[in-house]
Amino acid sequence: MLACRCPRPGITTVRHTIAFLLLSLFVGAVAPAWAAGPEDLVRTMASDVTASVRSLPATGNGVNPQLTAIIERDLVPRFDFNRISQIAMGRNWLKASPAEQRQITSEFSHLLIRTYSNAINNLRDMDVVVRSTRSNGSDGDVTVRTQMVGRGSPSSIDYSLSNATGSWKVYDVQVEGISLVAAYRDEFTGLVSSDGVAGVIAALKKKNAR
Amino acid sequence: MTLCVKRLPLALLVSMALFGAPVQAAKKPAPAPVAVQAEAEPVILDPFEPVNRGVFFFNEVFDAVITTPVKFLYKTLLPDPLRRGIGNVFDNLDDVYIGVNHGLQGRGNLAGNDFARVLINTSIGLGGLFDVASDMGLAKGKGDYGVTLGVWGVGPGPYLVLPVLGVSTLRDTVGRGLRIASDPRTYLEPVPGYSLTGAEYVHVRSTNSATEDLISSSSLDKYRFTRSLFLQRREALINAAKQSN
Repeated sequence: MLACRCPRPGITTVRHTIAFLLLSLFVGAVAPAWAAGPEDLVRTMASDVTASVRSLPATGNGVNPQLTAIIERDLVPRFDFNRISQIAMGRNWLKASPAEQRQITSEFSHLLIRTYSNAINNLRDMDVVVRSTRSNGSDGDVTVRTQMVGRGSPSSIDYSLSNATGSWKVYDVQVEGISLVAAYRDEFTGLVSSDGVAGVIAALKKKNAR
Repeated sequence: MTLCVKRLPLALLVSMALFGAPVQAAKKPAPAPVAVQAEAEPVILDPFEPVNRGVFFFNEVFDAVITTPVKFLYKTLLPDPLRRGIGNVFDNLDDVYIGVNHGLQGRGNLAGNDFARVLINTSIGLGGLFDVASDMGLAKGKGDYGVTLGVWGVGPGPYLVLPVLGVSTLRDTVGRGLRIASDPRTYLEPVPGYSLTGAEYVHVRSTNSATEDLISSSSLDKYRFTRSLFLQRREALINAAKQSN
């Protein structure tokens, strides 16, 4: 009964504590609901790739089957190549038949894997630090911002991810504000207007054959 | 105490309700995004494309015949530490312009950082040979007159490919002109002036080999690929400068 005469400052403290607990629970509940997935994916992907690249002996540039194997194992399962191809084709995607769409996706992912296998060689003496995650409009997509630190000045790498297929997948990577997929879209638009959808497939096949 | 303790379960209930609600909300299936329409197609202003393609081709030949052999000689004849020192001297000069531009963009803190770098690298760094400032935690900045014009609201204008100098826009060509006009090398005697400019050109090109290889190996239409990468990069630099204001 004595306890019921809680001194006033004590009550305020308890109230503040409760309010703080409520707030932290609320904030804590909202953030992991969407942030834990994509951010963890990027963090794990970056550390996997970095560790794999470092385990290889240093090599020069050019297509390296070991680097390609790392991409196949650590990156490909976490990328949505179907969506990447759709974005690269833009409105011309609908001009392609389902068979052509499959062909474009397969050839284009092959080209991207080759391109990335050259780029990840630089991860040997760099580390990826996750900076922040922000919602990307209303469609549930998010952008995970990271920074590559190590030699020289740090460079930003932003990953756009979507949960549309039920698991988080990367559909665009922006290095220092440059999206490789957007650059390909510019090329594909030109190829479609001069040689049609078949022109895109032919150009991709020619590039991959080299 | 009883009173205070009695209230706790209530608080717990409320907090659980709050905790539970967002999780439930998150479980609701999100509407499938329409990927094709999600990305707006950017407008690229390239009215001089036929001329630009001609100059682009000329530059490719120039690179193969002149730049690449000179680059090779530079890399073979000069040891790595010396080349790094040469790069640092040019970077130190460049820091002055980066500082001026950060100032013009109203980013005083960054300008202070740039000028502190110049002071430290010119003195302790022996005339800029060593980038001591970076080791002290003063990061190198980014920016030029073209970015400043962009921050001030000047659009890129038409895309241009300049002979030897490479990709640009009308705005960035004006920026380059301002840089040349404010560069002390412009007012040197022709021989030392051009030698220094040529040396910087060779040095910069020798450091970009990895990027150039990447573009060559991954592009289907190198002209369009390079154009997109360049325009995106300029846009990103200007947006970053605008956002930090």
